[in-house]
Amino acid sequence: MSRQRLVRRRLSVTLAVVTLVFGVFGLRLFQIQGIDSQAYAAMAVEAGTARSVVPAPRGEILDRNGEVLATSVAGTTITADPSMTSAEAPRIAKILVDELGEDELDYFATVDLLRTAGSRYVVVAKDLPAERAQSAVGAVREQELTGVFSEEVTLRAYPGNRLAANLVGFVDGERKGVQGLERQYDDLLTGTDGEATYEVSPRGQRIPMADSTVKDMVPGTDVETTIDRDLQWYSDQRLADAVRSSGSEWGLAITVDVRTGQIVQLSQAPTFDPEDPRTIQDSTSVSRYLQTVYEPGSVMKPIIMAALADLGKVTPETQISVPGQMLIDGFRIADYWEHGRINLTAAGVIAKSSNLGTIIAAQQMDDDTMHDYMASFGFGSATGISLPGESQGILPPAAGWTRANHATISFGQGVSVTAVQMLSAIAAIANGGVLVEPTVVGGFVDGDGNRTPAPAPETRQVVSKEAASMVTRMMEAVTDDEGTAPAAQIPGYRVAGKTGTAWRVNPQTGRYVRGQNTVSFVGFAPADAPRFATYVVLDRPHSDAGGGSTAAPVFHDVMSMALERFGVPPTGSGRPEVAQEW
Amino acid sequence: MSAHTAAPRPRPGAARTAPRPSVAGRALPLRLVAPVRARTPRAPFVVVILVVLGAGLVGLILISTVLQGQAFEIARLQSQAEELQIQQQALERDVERLQAPASLAERAMRQGMVPNANPVFLDPAAGEVVGKAVPAEPRSNVARVDR
Repeated sequence: MSRQRLVRRRLSVTLAVVTLVFGVFGLRLFQIQGIDSQAYAAMAVEAGTARSVVPAPRGEILDRNGEVLATSVAGTTITADPSMTSAEAPRIAKILVDELGEDELDYFATVDLLRTAGSRYVVVAKDLPAERAQSAVGAVREQELTGVFSEEVTLRAYPGNRLAANLVGFVDGERKGVQGLERQYDDLLTGTDGEATYEVSPRGQRIPMADSTVKDMVPGTDVETTIDRDLQWYSDQRLADAVRSSGSEWGLAITVDVRTGQIVQLSQAPTFDPEDPRTIQDSTSVSRYLQTVYEPGSVMKPIIMAALADLGKVTPETQISVPGQMLIDGFRIADYWEHGRINLTAAGVIAKSSNLGTIIAAQQMDDDTMHDYMASFGFGSATGISLPGESQGILPPAAGWTRANHATISFGQGVSVTAVQMLSAIAAIANGGVLVEPTVVGGFVDGDGNRTPAPAPETRQVVSKEAASMVTRMMEAVTDDEGTAPAAQIPGYRVAGKTGTAWRVNPQTGRYVRGQNTVSFVGFAPADAPRFATYVVLDRPHSDAGGGSTAAPVFHDVMSMALERFGVPPTGSGRPEVAQEW
Repeated sequence: MSAHTAAPRPRPGAARTAPRPSVAGRALPLRLVAPVRARTPRAPFVVVILVVLGAGLVGLILISTVLQGQAFEIARLQSQAEELQIQQQALERDVERLQAPASLAERAMRQGMVPNANPVFLDPAAGEVVGKAVPAEPRSNVARVDR
């Protein structure tokens, strides 16, 4: 009987212990699942997952035929853990300097860096081409040295170097666009980085088949420009030659398709190489075609003639009696060549670039009318081109004009423009009086290869078709053997144009500087079926340079190449005979 | 308390329900039989368990060896792919640089070619030259290549 009691007691004690143990388990379970569940779940996820960023490649910038102007390539940043490298710093530094070259790394600075006290992460060399960085890190590992690592980054590459650099722009160290198209379309080009989250073992190895979430990377959108890369190179080169030989401070050459407003070539000299930071200075990286304002000089005369022709006040044959000089508001104004009273037609005024003839013709318009025509041609306001930092130029309000203002503005002094403004106004004359907003972007190509064309540029009729064709006839006389720019003739073609030799304003004093000019030539071809307009500007060349002798030859070469590359044959018609004198 | 239960007592007239075992017509008395001690041999069971365990273990080892082998293979192939990708990019970059207009022009000019800015076209249908052909003279337009 006592043995049975003993068994029973043991049974109940065991039961109690088991119940207690399970009770504790149950309570703990309740605490974990019921009370702190969120916190523990988060901790579990934290401990067991790893995250990695999938960098989105920056979109490319392409020319009109899909040739690359700017692209992204894999690059590598070399980092080190000084706690591992400090002991062997001199050896590691020597290997790295040997591999990467002294341009990239300084030996002593690298030794100091590898010995940085209290740090476990230093950047040794940033943004290297992947192949060079890998071989350098590999060389360190081969010597059984540790603590040097590589991190993958994407780098911006410009295979054309200086080609269209002022249009394409460049990116800074954080890969943000800071100039040109790189800046204008930074958001589109950047894309969205992807993210991969996956479960890992406590040792950090990825658990196969386990849950992983992936946020897809969206690559940047490609921007397709309207530039023709080969034409761009040719005019870059031709302009650089001209700037050098004329001793100019800077030069611009821009070509636009007058029917579409698409800029097919946009050269600036001096320019920079986006892959060589030493060449990126304010004077080289400024977008002069949009940001530099200057007084255009006589290239403004066709605009005034177009306004007068639109008003019905002038035709190419209109007879103008031009005096030897004029005194307006106390200012003596003369032509660039000495003459007494001469009889010129309106075409002759343009062909010989007579300031006085233009003043007399322009006096048929009051200040407001002239101002409004110029505003309608786009002066004094941004052209709407999709590029950052565009200047509006300076067209003084008509209310403040003196008689002298009216006179000088008619031949392009006392009014400041950007080169794109000037070109787009002349292109409107070439395009039958219809101004087409200039554009440099033809479309966008997303990561899947879908192309979206850029919105069509806005157009507006500025002067009548008849007025435009009359001014074209006047401008054709400029490239005549009797005109100011026979150098702009292209054999077989009819070429219309206008020279400009403007006094240069000292930006500090606001006064004209004797002997300093801005010379230019603007023109279009074929004159009877205009396709391209090209504007060449050379600022502050040596003192005897003029628009016809210095800028026109550049125009000739660039325009010829444009006509050739785009397959624009001559129309075969002859130059119309327009009397220049009467 | 007795663990044994009494054998069912035959009820009256039970002859119908349970025919009594008989040997030569004589009824045998019921008696208690000692329980059969069925002693299954343990050895085969242990062997089976061991075999199963062993097979599982060997299988695990095999699988993990294969997995690890594959992991090494993957790592090797991945780094090879990476290397090749880097090499491909480097080559692509070289191609892009070599086909950039400046380097093409440089090589062409070194061979004595002259950029020709003269737009002249051949109309194959009419068999005539459109435009005026002008020979390209050396140093006539682009004289050198800036890099």
